[in-house]
Amino acid sequence: MIPLENFLVLSALLFGIGFYGVLARRSAILILISVEIMLAAVAINFIAFAAYRDPEGFSGLVFALFVIAVAAAEVGLALGIVLRLFREHRTANVDATDSLKW
Amino acid sequence: MQDVFGNALNFNMALLLPEIILAAVAVLVIVLDMFAKELKVRPVALPIVSVLGLVAAGVASGLAVDQHTDFGLLVTIDNFTAFFRITFIAVAIVLIVGSHEYIEKHVNHVAEFYALLLLSTVGAIFMASARDLLVAYLGIEVLSFSLYIAVSLAKNDTRSGEAGLKYVLLGGVASAMLLYGLSLLYGVAGSTQYGEIANALGKSTDDVRMPLLLGLTLIVAGLGFKVSAVPFHMWAPDAYEGAPMPVTAYLSATSKGATLALFLRWFGGPLLPAIADWQWMMAIIATLTMVVGNLVALQQTNVKRLLAYSSIAQGGFMLMAITAISDIATSALLVHLGGYIITNLALFVAIIHFYNRTGKEEITDFRGLSRTNPYLATVITAGLFSLAGMPLLAGFFTKFILFQAVVQGGFLWLVVVAVVGSTVSLFYYLQMIRQMYIFEPEGDATRWGISGTGYLTTGVLLGLIVFVGIQGAPLYTVADRAAFDLFPQGVAAPVTASTGAAPAAAPAAHK
Repeated sequence: MIPLENFLVLSALLFGIGFYGVLARRSAILILISVEIMLAAVAINFIAFAAYRDPEGFSGLVFALFVIAVAAAEVGLALGIVLRLFREHRTANVDATDSLKW
Repeated sequence: MQDVFGNALNFNMALLLPEIILAAVAVLVIVLDMFAKELKVRPVALPIVSVLGLVAAGVASGLAVDQHTDFGLLVTIDNFTAFFRITFIAVAIVLIVGSHEYIEKHVNHVAEFYALLLLSTVGAIFMASARDLLVAYLGIEVLSFSLYIAVSLAKNDTRSGEAGLKYVLLGGVASAMLLYGLSLLYGVAGSTQYGEIANALGKSTDDVRMPLLLGLTLIVAGLGFKVSAVPFHMWAPDAYEGAPMPVTAYLSATSKGATLALFLRWFGGPLLPAIADWQWMMAIIATLTMVVGNLVALQQTNVKRLLAYSSIAQGGFMLMAITAISDIATSALLVHLGGYIITNLALFVAIIHFYNRTGKEEITDFRGLSRTNPYLATVITAGLFSLAGMPLLAGFFTKFILFQAVVQGGFLWLVVVAVVGSTVSLFYYLQMIRQMYIFEPEGDATRWGISGTGYLTTGVLLGLIVFVGIQGAPLYTVADRAAFDLFPQGVAAPVTASTGAAPAAAPAAHK
């Protein structure tokens, strides 16, 4: 059997890659994709822990399903907001959104 | 019905009646708007239907007071749940009644806007009532998703889309961090039930300390974002400024209140055995939030941004109570939250009516308001003084109870920071009062009034600010009963005994 650590390392790597993408990318679309990668890491974590730490229950698997569904909803919603921004600024670059400053 | 282990479960749908009513009315509002021409629905019907639905849900939650039962293994119905149900429903009623003119004029897709307010209330209630991580997470997302859209619905304002984008992107990252933390917590505890997590963490050994600490850090960061705690607050001023004003008020009241309810449920329940691992994080965040919120508020010129930073600072006060968590701190936090929500709503409804008339929102635009509309100036002044913690107003009583509870929890130094922060906050609140009372109005100096519903909501809220300030015992009793359900084994009796005399005992506590 594959040790639990392998799954955790994979998910930690994915989470790190996604977080780096959020910080490094300037296009709203690419930031959204990075968030999706982070959520994929979360789903892997839940499934791995469900299999290894909670074999009789299945709340981890259900949680993973919900994470996937909610992530899909979030992208749809965020793309709508990106569209509104694109109509007003003709760009999806987050650096263009600078009218609000402290 | 039984779970997989054969334990009997209670799936009585009547327990969730308030939430079911709210969700059904939200759908009804959208359908009414869809067939507005066929059914001859007038625009005024939408807010009326929404408010009627909210009132029905409020009555249903009122009937559920003093019930102690669970819906399946998913939702707890107790007085803590009832407290937040009624609070959030009241917030939505006040905002719809107080700002329906604004919503009709300055918001795209009015029907969807009302529906989103109702749905976000459902999400907020589930955050307060969940007893399983999954339900809590879904509550968070229902609330956040509704607000992401509501923030970006302002008409003819490019700031709105921008604020919505910042909110949704940063919110997505915060949710992912929170979820990663929850997955680690699930790995350590082997369950998503609050009760079983508490058991598992109570027995946990040192070999799971690293993942637990990492998980707690991510959970605190994710929730800290939702409650706009420094250093995760950067979205808040932008979202507050860009959003339609009722949404700004909603962000500062329901969104913040629901997150604090979740903080109490988690850190007072399943995460309590790991208190040594998170208490210091919470103390640092509370300090940073109070200091940065109050200092940055000093240099604001836009009234929505000023109130954004003021509400960040107020959130810092409330995080102090999470740091010093106990039954006393919990009831003190609920008292302060109640007073803060009443005060903030009074301020926002007054400012919304100012905006309806003038279309301006800079602090200098309030010049001479005491001449052109003395009533509105009085409401705003009372609200600002209450936020600053002036005696005889709600803010003084609730802050005193809160600070006292935190000192009892052994965090005197946090209270010292909070008192200094309060003093600083008085300066920027007074700046705005100065504009209203010292300066002459610029240009048109004719007197003007606000609408009937405006007088009704601001009048009731102003009355409540003064009432809670003079006679805070009823609020305290309610909060105490709610907190007692969160800590059933705790000893809440000694605090109840001192309720009535609490404001009078103020000097004694400083010894």
